[in-house]
Formats: sequence, C-alpha cells, structure tokens
Amino acid sequence: MRPARHSLFTGLLWTAPWWLGFLLLLAGPMVISLYISFCDYPLLQPPVFVGLANYQQLVHDAVFHKAVWNTVIYASTAIPVGTVLAVLLAILLNQRVRGQAFFRACIFVPTIVPLVAAGVVWMWMMNPEYGLLSTSLRTVGVAQPPLWLESPRWAMVSLVLVSLWFIGSPVVIYLAGLQEIPEELYEAAKLDGASASRQLWHVTLPGISPVILFNVIMGIITSWQVFALPYMMWRTRPGPDRVTYFYTMYLFDNAFNYLKMGYASALAWVQFLIILALTGLVFLLSRRTVHYRGL
Amino acid sequence: MNIRGVILVLVLGLPAAGLLAFGPRGLHEVPPDRTIVRYWEKWTGVEGQAMQRIVDRFNQTEGTRRGIWVDYNALGDVDKRMLISAAGGDPPDVAGLPDRFVPPYADQGALRPLDDLAREFSLDLDAFKPIWLSICRYDGKLYALPSTPYTIALYYNRSLFRAAGLDPDHPPQTTAELNEYAQRLTRFEGGDPTNPRAGRIVQLGFTVSPAMLGWWTWIWPYFFDGQLWDGRRFTLDTPATHAALGWVRELRTAVGNDRVLQFEGTSAAIESAQNPFLSGQLAMVFQGPWLANWARVYAPDLDYGVAPFPSVTRERQHVFASEDVFVIPTGARHPREAMVFLEYVLRQEVMEELCQAHGKVSPYRLPGSEFFARHPNPHIHVFDEMATSPEVFGYPSMPTWAEAWTEMLYLLETVMREAREPAEAIRMTQTKVDSVVADYERMAAHRRGGAR
Repeated sequence: MRPARHSLFTGLLWTAPWWLGFLLLLAGPMVISLYISFCDYPLLQPPVFVGLANYQQLVHDAVFHKAVWNTVIYASTAIPVGTVLAVLLAILLNQRVRGQAFFRACIFVPTIVPLVAAGVVWMWMMNPEYGLLSTSLRTVGVAQPPLWLESPRWAMVSLVLVSLWFIGSPVVIYLAGLQEIPEELYEAAKLDGASASRQLWHVTLPGISPVILFNVIMGIITSWQVFALPYMMWRTRPGPDRVTYFYTMYLFDNAFNYLKMGYASALAWVQFLIILALTGLVFLLSRRTVHYRGL
Repeated sequence: MNIRGVILVLVLGLPAAGLLAFGPRGLHEVPPDRTIVRYWEKWTGVEGQAMQRIVDRFNQTEGTRRGIWVDYNALGDVDKRMLISAAGGDPPDVAGLPDRFVPPYADQGALRPLDDLAREFSLDLDAFKPIWLSICRYDGKLYALPSTPYTIALYYNRSLFRAAGLDPDHPPQTTAELNEYAQRLTRFEGGDPTNPRAGRIVQLGFTVSPAMLGWWTWIWPYFFDGQLWDGRRFTLDTPATHAALGWVRELRTAVGNDRVLQFEGTSAAIESAQNPFLSGQLAMVFQGPWLANWARVYAPDLDYGVAPFPSVTRERQHVFASEDVFVIPTGARHPREAMVFLEYVLRQEVMEELCQAHGKVSPYRLPGSEFFARHPNPHIHVFDEMATSPEVFGYPSMPTWAEAWTEMLYLLETVMREAREPAEAIRMTQTKVDSVVADYERMAAHRRGGAR
C-alpha cells in the first residue's frame, strides 16, 4: 500500500467513531427527515408522498404563526438583555477586588442547577400568592403585584428574567475574552487621556467582539430551540393566551402528541433554515464590527 | 506493558468486569418453557404495586398451568413508548393506556382489533356496564378491554357549607345553583371594611381552572346539553358552548377575576397536603373517586360529601365517564398468551381487587357483594350509580382529539384570563379545529390514494 493511501486509511480508521456516528446518527436521520417533510407520516403507516402540502399548510397555520412570533419576541429580548448583562458582569468580575473568586463562583453556580429544577424553583419564586417576588413587592407597598407566569402580559417577561439565571456560562467566556486583551492597549489609551467609558468603548468591546459574536450566535440557536423551561414552568400548557408557546414546543406536539411526523419534519427544516439564515445575517453584519487580532 | 498501559487496561477493564459480574441480569427468575408476555403499564407507586401483586399471582397459578410468564413494566409516557415500539416492530404484548388514546391509535392501525379474540376466549362482555365497553370501541370494532374505570363527581366540603349557612345535605342541583353556592362559599381577607370583597381570596367556592384540579378543560359544554363531536364534525360553536363559557366567565367575575387568578396561583399537586380541596381553600371540586385516597392520608378528619356534577337543568344528569384500558398493540408477538392474562385479570374478583386498590369503580353491571363494603372511598356507590346515567359520556371519539384537546385548553385559558370575548374565542377555536379535521381528511384521502 502506498504511504499516502496508507495514511488516509489509518486516518479514516481512527476517526471512524466520529464519521460513522455522524453519518448514522446525524446526516442519515437529517436526510430521512427531509424526505419525511414531504410526506404524510403518522409513524405506524408507511410515509405517503404529499409534495409541498406540509410546507403549504405552514403558511395558513395560525398556531405556527403565533409560535414563530413568540420565539422572535423571546429571542429579540433575551439575547440583547442577556448579552449586555453578561458583558457588564464579566467586566465587574474582571476587576481585581477581594473575594473575586467568590463573586465569580456566585455567578457561575446557578448554571450547574439542572434546567428542570431551576424551572420549579422559579415557579415558586413567581407564585403570585406566596412567591418571593410578589411577597417582596407587597412588603414595599405594591398592593397588586404582577401575576407573573399567570398573566399574558407578564409571562414572557418572566421567562426572559428566568433565562438570565443561566447567564454564568457566557459570563465565563466573556471573562476569558477580557483577559486576552493586551494590557498595553489600556496603557496606550490612558496615555492618550481616554476616560474609563472611552476605554470600554474603544478597547474592551472591540477586544471581546469575537466573543460577543460567538455568544450571540449561540444565543440565536438556543433561543430558537427554547423548550424545557416553558414546557416545565407552564406545566405543558401553552401559557396564558399562548404567549409562551414556542416553535420547538409546537414541533414536539406535532411529532409526539398529534403523530404528524411529516408536518413536524417540515417544521424542523424551516427552523433549521431560519437559524442558518439568522446566523449568516449576523456574520454578514459583524464584518465591520468584529475585530480579530492580527487581521 | 508499561505502567501507563496497565493503568489503561485497569481503567477500561475493571468497569467492564464489574458490569459483567454485577450488571443487570434480565429475567433470570423466569422458569424454563414459559412464553414471556411483555406488559407495559403507566402505574407506579401504590397502583403499580396492586397490579404487580396480580401479575405475580397469575405467574404462580394460571401462568404456571398455561406456560406463560407476564413481565410487568411500569413506564412513564407508556402511550408514546408503545407507539414508537410498535412502529419499530417490537411492541409489548399488552399495554395499559388511558382511554382517550383508543380512537387515535386505532385509527392509525396501532391497536389490534379484539372482537375475534374476545369470541375465541368467550369473554362475557355483557357483564360490563355499557359505557365501559362503548369507550373501548372505535368505528364499530373492539380495540380495548376495560381496566380501571371512573366517573367524575362534585366533591363538597360539608363543614364549609355549614359555615356559609348552606345545607350540607343539599349540594347544588343545577349549574346556576352551583354559581350561587360558589359565591357564598368564597371568603376574602384584608379588604376595606366597607367593601370586604376588595381583599384577597382566602377560600374559593369553585373553579374550573386546570391549576386547581379542574383537569377536564374541554368538558363544560356537555353539562349544558352540548357535545363536541358528532362523528364527522367538531361541534363547538353551539349555544351549549356559549352558555358554558358564559357560566365560567360569570363564576369568576362574580368574585373578581384578578383575585381568582391570584388565588389559583397557589395550586398544588393532588397528592399533597396543599391540595386546595383537602386544605379547605377550595370548597367544591370536580374530581374522581381516587381523591378519597389522598383525603385519607392528608385530611383524615375532612367532612366531605359527593354528588353528581350539576347540569344546566335538574331533569338531566350529564356524567363524564372514563377508564384505563388494556390493549394489544399491532404486531404483538403473543396475542393469545396476552389474552390468557387479560382473561385472568378480567375475572370479577381480580378486577374489583384492582379497582379497589386504585380507588375506582367496578366495570361490572353488578359489582360483587364485598366491593362497596371494602372500598376505600365511602362514596363509591355514588360514582358507580352515575355510570348508569342515560346522559353518561366519555371522551369525544375523534381521531384528532389530541389537537382538539389542546385547542380546548387554550379556549378555556383565553376565557379565564379574559384575553378575548368568549364568542370570539369559540369562533377561533372552531375554525382551528375545523382545519385540523380537514387536514386529517385530506391526508387520509392521500393515504387511501397511496394505498391503492
């Protein structure tokens, strides 16, 4: 066997667990789901090809429109709020103060609480009668605190607030990014008389812009797939006035409650394309604002 | 081999050796020459233990004689697992499902029709009350056998009735009377002395909220002489539904909807001391016979009564009846052995032992002499009699019920939160479910075309 072919064979052999897994467990099912999205497939009977019927149905499906709208609202609220807060917290935690490690731990610890457990805790925190939030508001004189999870007006706000509970992961990534910014840049800025806010705007934010881009893209992906928290907190209900019924919940219902695998697959592919398009758009918009060192 | 190699072998080898030595063994206790019948059920805890006892007894007696071993497995989401395993060609031989899955699963071909097997095994189906058998049929065929049935009644707190000046031996007889009672049974705290109803609700008369044990969110039109499915069409937008949702709205606005919503936020699980009915926060509740099991544990001194849930008029008594059922999935490997087991479980004394342990009614026309005497629910005869009402009804037998159910839940939520006027919400729900039914029929036509 020639050395090049031998190397290729050896490489393929050692990477076989990955590419076999990729082909069998990811690429294969994706291709099948694409085919199924053009079929009527109630799981127990063979799929019947129906052309674009499932995709056409999406156009007229009011619940689909509502789920998309809710997801857009959630993503466009949770991502900016989460990003700004995470960056600010990371900057604070990057200051050399006593107890720095303790404060960092405090921010990170909530992220290791399982999602379902956190959901249950927040359900109680936001209980309109006995919850900590409502009780505290009553103590300071608010006679009618919000109904939080029970109110169509407050349910989405509540979910965004709960999503901030898991801010520890991006904060850690931002912290790592902050520590990568060369100290000389700050020294140069100070010599030029830059104030703290100007240093933040002209040194810190450009310095961590690749990290911000990464976290925003991850935020888009996770926001468009939000499922466990609302599913848990509204006890599988669509939430007050369906304001917390999200894309993935509708997809799950179609697949496993309504047994419409074809329609669910169409939903999954549309979701995939939306996330792909949004990611591409963010990359495009970030060309001038993200600074890679050495480029 | 160097030291790193030894460590690697130990790290990988020891867990493997441990698994081989102490890992799961499967059904090592199955005697030889038995056919294994796989039985998947949803029951755990006390309910699961009761069934396990029956399975054990079968394995030791009838199973030994007939060479059958039943392997009982309690699973969460048994309906979904059964369906996926059937799609994968390896379903269990028997599954225990809630009855609402019978129409959609039968329609999808997931269930084996049981008419032939019932005849072959000479099952006396006439021994059951008609409602329990009709629930097991779909499109004229028998797809299930009754397991543990129940009707749903109005539980009311007799002490709170007395405190409100109501006669505890005279529960409400009509829906209008129920509203009147509910208002009198609602108490407020912390309000203005000139307007006590401005305070917080500390005791609520009645609510249909799913957060407060009102689990059957779609049901209310039935008590106003309505129905949701006529066999072809979803029949929501009718005077009965408008009357029902008007009644719901009135029930809440009479005591202040914002206060009711806040109060409903205190909801807790049925199996807890915070259960609103058992803790005295809720004076009346629409629930099943199993509530007595929790009352015995968490509120043994609670003085409560049970009555049929009132309908819009005294002349009619609409009763919701439902049950868990046994099914044999399509593709089950041992359907006849499964029937031997089911024949054993359906013996009256065995079935009634199970129903007693679950706190439910007997599916038989004439329950055994000991059934009522030994039953843990002192009001079980009320639930049993209700099953013979001429106006008894079950879940709508529609193949797209899961979607209709979601829409009905949404409809009730919308009305409860005053997000839309009931008439508008009803119209929207009717349109949505009509489109679901139309899609189903269109896909079914495609399928028939594909099958040709």
